Amino acid sequence: MTRKSGRLVTTTMAKSKQKGNHKSDKKKNIAKTWKTKRRTKDLDQIHSDMKPDTATKLLHQEVDYDVTGCAQHYCLHCARYFVDMKAMKEHFKSKVHKKRLKQLREEPYTQAEADRAAGMGSYIPPKTVEVKTQPVEEDMD
Amino acid sequence: MRIEKCYFCSGPVYPGHGVMFVRNDCKTFRFCRSKCHKNFKKKRNPRKTRWTKAFRKASGKELTVDNSLEFEKRRNIPVKYNRMLWDKTVEAMKRVEELKQKRQARFIMNRLKKGKQLEKEEDINEVKKNIHLIKAPHAGKAKQMEDKMVQKLQEDVNMGDEDD
Repeated sequence: MTRKSGRLVTTTMAKSKQKGNHKSDKKKNIAKTWKTKRRTKDLDQIHSDMKPDTATKLLHQEVDYDVTGCAQHYCLHCARYFVDMKAMKEHFKSKVHKKRLKQLREEPYTQAEADRAAGMGSYIPPKTVEVKTQPVEEDMD
Repeated sequence: MRIEKCYFCSGPVYPGHGVMFVRNDCKTFRFCRSKCHKNFKKKRNPRKTRWTKAFRKASGKELTVDNSLEFEKRRNIPVKYNRMLWDKTVEAMKRVEELKQKRQARFIMNRLKKGKQLEKEEDINEVKKNIHLIKAPHAGKAKQMEDKMVQKLQEDVNMGDEDD
């Protein structure tokens, strides 16, 4: 049971009832998120992050007090830090994360592909890459 | 100097035109116009954006695999000027372009044939489904029934006559 707008509402449905993003704070300054100043990682950068050695480096970072969750909970595919393990696990179940995995399953777009599309060579279809959510280590404390 | 290709739409970027974006990992991206730059900033996928060359190639709208596409290349070897070679190259470029145009046009015409065939099938289906609008289902049936009744009556009358 959760309290919502003054009366008790039973939550039987698993899915959230959110419709649209009109009131979402994150969408308030959408133009700002497109500025190169605030640019987040591109898909091709994440693909290079996914290489085993860089991946282990990113997943086992040193404690940094300036970063969310002291840089201890990082989602490799979404390039995001989380406060704790619970929040990260919750994120793995979310639509945003699943959508990102789907996007990453295709080989990243390159300048070479743009050149080929412009008539410099024949078209080569993009390969599919297997992408899975990073394994979660269980903390015993 | 070189005519680069736009990262997003694959259009030509002439010297002094467009924008180059250098990402913080030193990778460079060239854009032919602000439209492409803006779309890149919005993280759109050129393969999914319908107006880009990448989309048209990926979805089979244009000629994708052909030998005429293999001539234009990024050749990073400087060649000493030679008038003969220059003249020949220009002639070859013209010829290659001509062939390319021809093949591309033929490819597109072949692609459109499928649509025409489907259109025809659809038209036939529509006529078949809505035939009642063209011809009433019981048109001429009343007259036939009347004729039949008259015939039957006549037969009955005849039979009656024979019995007597």
